[in-house]
Amino acid sequence: MSAAELGYDAVVIGAGTAGLTAACRLAEEGARVCVLAKGIGCTHLAAGTVDVLGYLPEAAAEPAPRQRPTGGPTAALVREPAAALPRLLAALPEHPYARTGRAALEEALAWLARTVLAGPLPGYRYLGGLERNRLLPTALGGLRPSALIPETFAAGDASALRRVAIVGSPALRDFHPRLCAENLRRTGVQARPLSVPLEFDRADASTLTLARRLDDRAFRARLCAELTPLLRDEEQVALPAALGLRDPHAVWSDLERRLGRAVFEIPTLPPSVPGMRLFEILSSALRRAGGRLALGAEVIGAQRRGARVHSVSVRAAGHERRYAAEVFVLASGGLASGAIELDSRWRASERVLGLALEGLPSAGERRFSPDYFGEHPFARVGVALGPQLWAREVENVLVAGAALPGALPWREGSGEGIALASGYRAAQLAIEAAGLARPARSPAGAVL
Amino acid sequence: MVGLECDLLVIGGGATGAGVAWDAALRGLEVVLVDRHDLASGTSGRFHGLLHSGARYAVKDPRAARECISENRVLRRVAADCIEDTGGLFVTTPWDDPAYADRLLEGCRQTGVDCEELAVGRALRQEPLLHPRIARALAVPDASIDVWKLVGALCRGAQQRGARVLPYHAVVAISRDGEEVRGARLRDARSGEELEVRARVTVNAAGAWAGQVAELAGIDSVRVLPGRGIMIAMAHRLVNTVVNRCKPPADGDIIVPIRTVSVIGTTDEHTEDPDDQRVPEQEVDALLDDGERLVPNLREARALRVWTGVRPLFEDAKAAATPTRDVTRAHALLEHSERDGVGGLITITGGKLTTFRLMAEETVDAACRALGEARPCTTATEPLPGSEEQHSYRLSERLGRKEGGLRERQVVCECELVSREQLEQQLARGGVASLDDLRRRLRLGMGPCQGGFCIYRATGILHEQGGITAAEADAALLEFLDERWKGSWPILYGDQLRQARLDEWIFQGVLDVAHLPA
Repeated sequence: MSAAELGYDAVVIGAGTAGLTAACRLAEEGARVCVLAKGIGCTHLAAGTVDVLGYLPEAAAEPAPRQRPTGGPTAALVREPAAALPRLLAALPEHPYARTGRAALEEALAWLARTVLAGPLPGYRYLGGLERNRLLPTALGGLRPSALIPETFAAGDASALRRVAIVGSPALRDFHPRLCAENLRRTGVQARPLSVPLEFDRADASTLTLARRLDDRAFRARLCAELTPLLRDEEQVALPAALGLRDPHAVWSDLERRLGRAVFEIPTLPPSVPGMRLFEILSSALRRAGGRLALGAEVIGAQRRGARVHSVSVRAAGHERRYAAEVFVLASGGLASGAIELDSRWRASERVLGLALEGLPSAGERRFSPDYFGEHPFARVGVALGPQLWAREVENVLVAGAALPGALPWREGSGEGIALASGYRAAQLAIEAAGLARPARSPAGAVL
Repeated sequence: MVGLECDLLVIGGGATGAGVAWDAALRGLEVVLVDRHDLASGTSGRFHGLLHSGARYAVKDPRAARECISENRVLRRVAADCIEDTGGLFVTTPWDDPAYADRLLEGCRQTGVDCEELAVGRALRQEPLLHPRIARALAVPDASIDVWKLVGALCRGAQQRGARVLPYHAVVAISRDGEEVRGARLRDARSGEELEVRARVTVNAAGAWAGQVAELAGIDSVRVLPGRGIMIAMAHRLVNTVVNRCKPPADGDIIVPIRTVSVIGTTDEHTEDPDDQRVPEQEVDALLDDGERLVPNLREARALRVWTGVRPLFEDAKAAATPTRDVTRAHALLEHSERDGVGGLITITGGKLTTFRLMAEETVDAACRALGEARPCTTATEPLPGSEEQHSYRLSERLGRKEGGLRERQVVCECELVSREQLEQQLARGGVASLDDLRRRLRLGMGPCQGGFCIYRATGILHEQGGITAAEADAALLEFLDERWKGSWPILYGDQLRQARLDEWIFQGVLDVAHLPA
């Protein structure tokens, strides 16, 4: 029995930031696009901010950073990503940003900000850009640099933060205001913890549980009534990143209005509420532009014709379905998603299309350093590339996001920036190469 | 300098030392137990968890086999709560000589170890992941024993009878008064304060480190050769019965199901340094290959953690001069008054966890002789705290106990079902210096996610309840991540590598632990 085959201009594999960005851009340019994804991507894990470049690795930093007393790696904090990028690329010419180019990065950031504003969450905005990093409090009370951030995070920027009450509840196990506040004080912010009694229907409530409750106006009124008498003059309010899922702008503005002061969110353990908002925004933009998103559609094989990938196979509802396309964008993630795998005999493979990898430690070399914060040779592995974002061994596959070699996303604070820029750039390259641009269809005709 | 006085100072907080403390406290002696680190953080906490039936020794070492089966029966009564009655199997894989099973049956018969041959089909129904071509299967009363729970119960029992238990107190000097040992000077590893303990008898129960402790007393003839072995904990229970290869004991021939994991053991390499915790990559490879002979495709399962333990193998430099009356081949009891002319000091080393109670009994007998007092041992009949009901641990009861309170009890560590309440109780009890101590006491962070989710929560609770500063809490968090990494990097492959990347995402991405306030 031959498998049913569907034809698209472009098939994007993976529904994280990179895949959704590529798919949206392709669909917006009029290409017929389908996203195939095993499941939801990185958005639900990450903080929901777009970190473009937070730290320069030792090799690129100047002057040389001091060794941290806490045992962390030596890296220099980046205050101005625009200024630091050339230094990063001079030190690491194979870095993904060298392949996307700076223009695509800048356009992608602006595109995301527009897409968020035009999205399904009324009034919700992202702020910032390449000019400067905001330093945002973490749930541990450290400061994390980020370039493009939800408006609901903005008041936390340490450059403007003076006095703040960190609000949590014993009912929330994923946020610890005392530790957060005490560490923040060590960075010079006058922070103090506040604990409010919250009741949920189960003891293991997450920030998602709280976000769903905060969507309810009456719940917000009760919370503010509890909080108001506890607050001091000119004190801002920080809450775990849970200020609403369906209408965060309204939830956040309502809290600011009721409390009469700035309120902001601090991201913590997954599931990430801001990340879920971003997923909703991007997947909705894709639908509006006429693209299709198939979750639960794991690619189990690929059919090649010569040096091209002709189609990929997906097992769905008990039968195999093939998706043929002119161009494929592989945005399936790296080691964390399982798209790049290392087996117990130390053989590494790309699981989706079976592409060659680069950046592998040579035989006999260590894969990981015995030092947690050390340089792990295996960490920079990715799909072997030809020019730009094209995969080396096939003609019509572009690579985006964590499947790219050469980056250390968490070390550099660059994961979402790379995902966004490479997804954006991959769409541009696909359109140029395959002549996919068509007159954009009206949203009304785009419902699939 | 603060001073303490006691009848018995016990150096070494492993199973042997804690066993000595419990035994002596039951006999009414005043006891102080000290360890340079946490309790059960040396060899005791770094083994695979096997409670021997004796079958492993039945062919080669009948005396050890008899000791094991006898202690196995005793411990099932007095330490029931620490033991899971998994039973054990010796299986003949395609790489083993089928005739060895007959020798093992005969050895067990002669040493009194219960041993029964099972039909292969029945063994495979009991353990479906075993190699399908096993030729023979013998059932023995092996079991698994939770050593942290055991040492915890021994110490708690001793404390209830007046003993002082001092973890994180290193011996910096042994006090000698001419030819008599009079106790030791300790240093609190956390505060740096020193403490003088005067004791009528000092017991050196430092296991693989016993030679170093004896040297502090000026005795350089205690030679302990540490035998280094690695073990790998695989996620989940690949087997629910202890499974041994039916052949003479060697590397990589046993899988012990304990709590939520299965431990493959072990290798055996000599080392000079008991603190040698290296995990050579080729040993990992060899151990996984060996494991696959028992459970095919074991390499496809998740390996959670690898660690090194050191066996204290005693080599008596004075063998010819010392009567071996009290010294079995399995362990060594050295009464230094007779052996070296130094009174007030007894060394107990060698041996194996299964016989720790017997070792403790012989040691405290010797101490009573030295004190000139007749105090009979009661550890073979007195149940440990928590084991009064003689109800052995069952994995299946864990979820049932937690499920009832799910609405009320906040679970901090989902993998091991550790509640906030348990964490707070443990902190209130004191003696907890690190997140790793909590791990040993509660199994916090020992499951498949290796602390990815629970460690931020636990750090917050430790900071709130443990009376420490944020800087200390940060340091505890980083120390835990470092410790965890030591046990995971050599086995990072497959889904566990994915897990490690997800954990990095949380710690280095969302929480940015690499850049905490300085």
